[in-house]
Parts: sequence; structure tokens; C-alpha cells
Amino acid sequence: MSGTAHPGKVVMPLAEALEKLAKLEQANKLDEADDLATRMLAAMPEHPHILQLAGIVSYRSGRVAEAIERMEKSEALSPTAALYPRNICEVYRGAGRLDDALRAGQRATQLAPADARSHFNLALIHYERLELDDAVRVADQAIALDPDFAEAHFEKVEALLLSGRLREGWESYEWRFKLKQAEGMLPKTEKPQWDGQAMEPGKLLIIGDQGFGDCIQFARFIPWAALLAPQPVVACSGELLPLLSQIPGIGKIVTRWDDAAGYEAYIPLSGLPRLAGATVENIPPSGYLSPKPELVAQWGEKLERLAPRGKKRVALVWAGRPTHKNDKKRSLKLSQFAPLFTRDDVVVLTVQKGDQIAQAGGYYGHAPLVNLGPEIEDFLDTMAILKHVDRLVTIDTSVAHVAGASNVPTSIVLPYAPDWRWLLSREDTPWYPSLRLYRQTTPYRWDDVIQRVAADL
Amino acid sequence: MKEGLCPCGSLLRAARCCAADQAQWPSQEAAALLDDKAAEATKLFNEKKHGEAETLALTILDAVPNQRAALRVLFEIRNAQKRIKAADALGIRLAGLPGTAALRALANGQFAQYLVAQGRHTEALPFAAAAVKAAPRAAQGHHVLGVVFTETGAVLAGERHYRQALALLRREDGMVLGNLAWNLKLQGRLSEAEALYARALALRPDNTRGTGGLAQVLFIKGERGRADALLDEALTRWPQDRMLRLLKVMADLACQRPGEALERLGPPEAQMPPELLARGRAFMQLGQMQEAISAIATARTIQRERTGHTYQPEALLGQSERDKAYFTGDRLRPLPRAAAGGFTPVFLLGFPRAGSSLLEQLLAQIPGFAPGDEAAPVAALAKAAPGLLGGDYPECLDEMLVGEAAYAPDRLREMYETPRRAMGLVRPEVRFITDRASSNIWHLGLIKLLYPEAPVIHVLRHPYDLVLSNIVQDRKLEGNAQAGLPGLARYFALQAEMIRHYRGQLTLRYLPVRYEDLVADPEAAVRRVLAFIGVEVALPPDFPANATRVAEPLPAHFAGREAVHARAAWRFKPYRAALPNLFTEVAPLLDPWVRELGYEEQGA
Repeated sequence: MSGTAHPGKVVMPLAEALEKLAKLEQANKLDEADDLATRMLAAMPEHPHILQLAGIVSYRSGRVAEAIERMEKSEALSPTAALYPRNICEVYRGAGRLDDALRAGQRATQLAPADARSHFNLALIHYERLELDDAVRVADQAIALDPDFAEAHFEKVEALLLSGRLREGWESYEWRFKLKQAEGMLPKTEKPQWDGQAMEPGKLLIIGDQGFGDCIQFARFIPWAALLAPQPVVACSGELLPLLSQIPGIGKIVTRWDDAAGYEAYIPLSGLPRLAGATVENIPPSGYLSPKPELVAQWGEKLERLAPRGKKRVALVWAGRPTHKNDKKRSLKLSQFAPLFTRDDVVVLTVQKGDQIAQAGGYYGHAPLVNLGPEIEDFLDTMAILKHVDRLVTIDTSVAHVAGASNVPTSIVLPYAPDWRWLLSREDTPWYPSLRLYRQTTPYRWDDVIQRVAADL
Repeated sequence: MKEGLCPCGSLLRAARCCAADQAQWPSQEAAALLDDKAAEATKLFNEKKHGEAETLALTILDAVPNQRAALRVLFEIRNAQKRIKAADALGIRLAGLPGTAALRALANGQFAQYLVAQGRHTEALPFAAAAVKAAPRAAQGHHVLGVVFTETGAVLAGERHYRQALALLRREDGMVLGNLAWNLKLQGRLSEAEALYARALALRPDNTRGTGGLAQVLFIKGERGRADALLDEALTRWPQDRMLRLLKVMADLACQRPGEALERLGPPEAQMPPELLARGRAFMQLGQMQEAISAIATARTIQRERTGHTYQPEALLGQSERDKAYFTGDRLRPLPRAAAGGFTPVFLLGFPRAGSSLLEQLLAQIPGFAPGDEAAPVAALAKAAPGLLGGDYPECLDEMLVGEAAYAPDRLREMYETPRRAMGLVRPEVRFITDRASSNIWHLGLIKLLYPEAPVIHVLRHPYDLVLSNIVQDRKLEGNAQAGLPGLARYFALQAEMIRHYRGQLTLRYLPVRYEDLVADPEAAVRRVLAFIGVEVALPPDFPANATRVAEPLPAHFAGREAVHARAAWRFKPYRAALPNLFTEVAPLLDPWVRELGYEEQGA
């Protein structure tokens, strides 16, 4: 920065200050970055790159409107800088402004046609807009520019799977293990990945990779694997153990890598659909999970006491794990389910877990609400409770899979561009016949979705 | 102040007063060597030669700081001078002196009475208890302890000591009978109270407090005509008695006679805060909003100036933070729960003036319900828990995870039920006993352990109406929240946050009920509550008249029992229109809660 030096004021060259700001942002020192950005903007309010970096800091600090204002100004001041539309494309996407995001993404690819990241960002926007052929095409452009670009491969996979092109999708699905978030998901081993050939009993290790929901969804393929490689060892997290132990054909279930020793080949659970040649038409049926009768009885008695009689029991989950990459798209606030709460004939039984459970404390709707989460120990409790409800209303989270796998009538609310497994346009799903799908008709708008759910109860 | 004098104001040197090393004091035998001189000081005091008595007492105590009679003289003088800090220090010293049981009983008993006279009942408890322990056959000690227990909410313990005092006296005593009658009135045992007042007033016809107490009993019983006549007669005899006059004013207000109330109160210049607040209520009833707010503001200003009391939330904040940290879902889940008890409590939550008393009155008319009011609250169990489990509350509840302490919830539940049995609330026909203790808001975590599935009905009311209604009440709230609208708003927010925490962390059988709905359509609101509780009964004929006879014990709020009306709902609206700045200061605190509670959706 230039200017007259004042006593006690440290003056830093602009390039050095910009580098420092970028490093602070990359190091997640957002408060310090924010402070530096504010001071730099005070000194040079029209500098495009300061504005750009300050916008990124604003966005990452949760001040989206400010971020957009700064970044738009930055782009206007330096309209040929390819990085700026590439960045703001992502910010627009996060803000749900998909038309603006598309314009920015296209502009970024025009300005930097050799930049794979710009093409990838544009592919993301096409996916969000459900322009899936375009998403595949643009992802392919990114891959052509950078064949090892794992995120681009995976984005293409998601678009293919969401389109219902499962066989094509499965082929590239293995790219998920090259994603940064997949680190540590598979064991460090010299053993080969299973190719679907017959094996000796107990020599196949099946790994419960991905999230709880994926594991529950793909667990239906374990009996198929056990036909070829009998008594497989299944490695999963402790939370899934009581559920997966219900799947027939498993040799043993472990929760520590050390206990899995002795296998000759491994396969991630999410790799089984590819080996099994799963298509929309041949998905193994649901109903492979069921609650423990003693828990069903206990919860039945408890709910008789806790829930007023003569009302429809509607179980509810409104938020997922906040660290999930799509949580912003899929999670709601409890208050957004208001159309359910005005009904006179409903009692709401929340089976929400995690920090978001606290929202139940601010509920003052008309329908009685019983916050069951604090007394739910694990998925077995949840499954037992769901046996006593008329319907589950949920976002796209693991409880939806528990309900689907145990054939509980469920209304699941989905974002405009949902996770690939829910496919396109249909109100049902071949994965779980008891689920009814309620899709956003406009990205990021839930009000009409919830109204439809409430009306159909 | 002379150098070296004690800061307590006794005018003794500090080294002979509060800073003295009591281990170095002469023995009582040595102190007795100055008995003659001390007797002289006593004689001077009794002859009202206070200056000479004080000088002599100070001289004696400078030499022998623990000379009993001299201490007594100086204590009495400082008390008469209203030097409270000095009198406190001297009184405590007197009470702690060794001596015969009779002497210890006398010193402790007198100091307890000194504290009781100042309304410091909680502080009086250890001294009144010490007096009884030193002289268990002395009726006076039991009488004082009865007062202390009664006025600190331990009404059953109070009753026991009053009855012991009467038994030891072996005769009727108008004062003790009157106090016992007041105790029974607090328990809602009105017929017994009325009979006792009759005996007390026959012995002491000049007992104005007893007369006022009897009038209140009659009012709660619904015999307003008799109460009015009694007060009229009493005011004819004692026209200057402010307490009786205020009672009559309150009767006027309860009967919607604001004009008569104002006339009775007279000019405002000479009025004390309770009278000014009654004046404010009278103007409210007349719809004279400016005058009402002016009278209330004057009352609150005088109270603040005289007592220095402002909203002091520190203790509440500290406890609520501690409770929030402890009472989380994960921490409570493994703790043992009490087994089912002899009845189902129905907890009626609500900020003061929210309408929980109205709901209790309405539910009391339903077969199977008994109104438990605020008697023997769960808060008392929170105080008892450390004694039972060891350690501080609430952390001591962790002890329940270990061994025999797993039965502690059952013991605490029994401690909750015993007083209700003693009060006659537990009867064969009673399935549900309502509990509207205002402190329950802080103790939902403990309630969860004792009654895991008891219904919790939360009476909501628009926050602006709540602060407006409370500011006109002559009722002390926790942390002196009644001192002004800002304090009330902060107190409201603190309670609302606590409830939000508990509801987010615990599986409660919780139903919010809006006061506005309750008064607009009491039948529908009560039917909704009953359906939630799981009761299917027909409502009494003419239910909203709120006049169905209810069996004793009857809570004091039955004095204000009247047909359900909606005139107090949304009262803040005309006030806000007439006095646009009235809520300006509290709006930033209350408006977020207005939204969260769903009042904004209702166009409020």
C-alpha cells in the first residue's frame, strides 16, 4: 500500500499485503483476514484484487450479500480477469442465484478456456439447474484438460447416476476414492479390490464407506456378495453395527481395521452396485431392516404416555449433519415445516439428533410436539419409534434410509437438484417403495414443498 | 468516625467488635465480674437514659467484649437507632455466646424476632431453630419458628411448630391461633382457617391483622359479601389502618369497583408504593392509561429510592448457566428416573401474570383434578438434593449413577408427595394435582428425573402484556425484576431462554397454551389441554363462569376467581397507542421473543 507514513503505522507493499491476505484466508484465519481486508479496502476501495479477496473472506465468514457486492465490483473493475467470474460463480451458487452463477461460469470458461477448474465450476451449475447433459459435457471438457481431476470425474458420475444412467455412472464411481474427503475411507493394504469372482468363505472384506445413509442403502447388496464370497467380513462404524448385523450372509462385523485381518480382497460397500450390475430395474428390494420387538414394545408404551391420543403421529427430521457437503441444500429449519404444525389432527414426534435438536426448544406451533431425540440412543431406537408413527417426514438424511429399509411410510423432501440416488422427476424411488418424494420446484425454495407434504398427510 | 472504630457502626473499637479474636475473649465467668456494672447499664436503658446507658455499655464492652448484659443494651440501642449493620453484628455475637440453655434460647429467640420484624425470615431461620433446640419446651421458640417457616414457604413445618406452641402453652392464645390460621389459609385449608380466626379474634378482638386475614379467607372461599362486610366494619373501628384499607381497595378492584377504590385511597401524595400500585390498577380499570402509568412509575421510583433495589440478575444468571451446562440430553439420559408416584402432577409453567392461575382454576373444576398451586415446590428438592447426595446442585445428581443413590429420585419424589398428602391434596378421587410454582421454570431438569412423563403445560402470553401486567402488581419477583419494565423484560428473556434450553435437551410432555386463546374460548382451550393429558370428561355446565365449587384446599388466587373474560388480553395495544414510548426500551429485548412465540404471525 502506498501513502504517507504515519508514526506507529506499518506500511506494507501492496503485493506483500495481497499475498498475506490470501494466505490468511487459505489458513482459515478469517478474523485476521477480515481485519486486513477491511484496512486494505479503506486505503484502496477501488482495487479489484483487494475487492476480490475481501469478497472471498466475506463469503467464507457467512456474509454472502457483502461478498457478492465486493466481487461484482471487482469484476466490473477488471472484466477480463478470468479468476473473478470463476470465483463469483461459486458464490452465486451458494446464494442460490443459479442464473447469475450460470452467466459467471460461462464467462469464466470463455475468458480461460484452458482452465479445467472453470469448466468444473460450470458443470456444477448445470447440475444444480438439472441440465444434466450439459453437466456431463462440461465435466468432460474439464477432464479433457486435466484427466486426473477427480472432482470433475465425480461430478460427471453424479450427473449420469441422477439421469438414471446407472451402469455408466458406476464405471466412473471409483473416482470418489480420489476425492479429498475420501482420505482414510479405505484401508492401507496390498490386497486387491474384489472383482466379483468367487472366493473362499470369510476372505472378502466389505467396507462400509461413505455416510450412514449410503451404507444402509447399499447393504442390500451384501447377500448378493455373500453368494460369491460367503461369510464376508463387514467393517463399519459402531453406529451401523446393530443395523448391518441384521443383513443375512455376513460372517462377522468389525469396527476396527485390526479385527478385519485375514481377508484376501476388499470391496467398498458402495462398489457392490457396480459389481452387481445394478440398474433402476433390478435393485434388490427393501425391507431388509426391522426393529427389535422389545424396543418396539417399550417405545409403544412410552409413546402412549407421551403423545396425545387420537392424532396422526408424524415423525420429523429437519436437519442433517452440518459437515455434509450438501447440507445447506438439504437441511431446513424446524420452523420451515410450519404448514404441518397448524394441523389440528397431528402430533409431531421429532426424531432429530445432533445439535440442531435445540431448535425444538423454540417450537410454539399449534400441533403438540414431542422432542424424542434426547432419548434416542441409536438407529434401533429410531427404527422402533418409526413403527409407531403414521408417517415420517424427513430431509435427505440417514433416517430416511432407515425408514425406507424398514418399509416405513415416509415423505422425503428433496432439493431441486437432489443427490443422484433420488433420480429425476419421479415421486417414488426404486430403492425404497415406502418413500414418497417431494421435490423442490424452484431451487432453494421449500415453502410449496412443505405445503404439499402437509396437504398429503 | 474515630480511628479504630468498627465499620459496623457499633461505636466499639474494631478490635473489640467485628475484628476481635473471639478466642482471646475472657471466659463467661470473668465477664460476669462486670455484671453489676452491666446491670447498671440495663437499669439506665430501662429508665430510657439511653445516652448514659450507651456510654456505660461501650466502656464495659471495651474491657470485656463478650459481657452479655452490656451487649444486650448496646444491641437494643443500635436497633432503636436503626443502625442495622451494628445491631446485626451485636445480635449475632449475643446469640453465639456460650451459656445456659435458657440464656442461649433467649438470645437466639430475641435475635430471630428482630430479624422477623424486618421481614428477614430466611436469615432468621438458624437463630429460631437454635432457640428451639436450646429450649424445646418453650412455646415462644416454636411460635417464632412457626412464623419463620410459614413466611419462607415451608407451611407444613410452620403449622407443626404453631401447634407445638399451642400444646406447650396449654391455653388458647390469640396471636398463635391467628398465625396458625394464616398458615392454614396459605395451605388453602380455608374452613379450618376460618374457624381458627374466629377463636383468635374472640380472644384478641383488636387483632387487625387477624381481621384482615379472615377477610382474605372469606374472599378466597368466594364469600365476598361477608368479606366486604367484615372489612367495612373493621374500617369503621380502625379508620386509619392502612393494611385494612388496602385490603378493602383490593376487594374493590377484584369486584371491578375502581371508582370506590380511588376514593378510598385518597390523595396520592400520602400514598405508599402498594397504595400507588393499587391506584395504578384502578386507573387501568377505568381506561385512564396516562394516569395509571404515572401512578405505577411513582410507586416504582419510591421503591427504588427507598430500598435501592434494581433488577439484580447475577444469581439467576449464574444458576441458569450452571443448569444449562449440566442439564443436557446426553448427561441426563443415563441418570435413573423415579418410579410412578401416587398421582400425576401437571406442571403449569408460565411467567408471572401469564394466566397459569386461571388455568389452574379451570382445571380444578374438572373431576380428578386438585389445585396444588405453589406449595412445596420442586425448588425445595433442589435444595435438599445436596444433603441427600453430597456435593453441589446440580452436579450432585451424578451421584445417582452410583450404587444405592440410584434410588434418590424415588426419595425426592416421595419428598414431593408427602406435603401434598399432608395438605389433603391427595384424595382417592384425585388423579392429577396441578403445580404452578413459578420456580418450576428453572427445575425442568430435576422434574424430568422425578416425573419423566408428567404433562408440562406452558401458559404463554404476549410479552408486552406480561411486563405491563407485572409492573402494576405489588409482588416481589426473583432478582427484583418487578423494579421496572427493563428488568421485567430481561427476566422474561432469561426464563424464556431457560425453557428453550430444557425443551431442546429433554423429552418433555410439553404443551404451550396461549392465554389469549384461553380467555377467548376457555372450553376449547381446556379441552385441548385435557386431550393432551389424556382425560376424557365432560366439562361442568356453564364452565366459563368459573364458579363450580372446588374442594379445599384452595389456593389464594381463588380470591380473584371470576368468570373468564378477555378484557386483559392484548391490553398493551391501546397502551402502546396512547403512550408510544412506553415499550421503547424493552422492545429490542422482547420483540425477538414476540416472533419466536408466534405472536407476530397473529398480527401483534
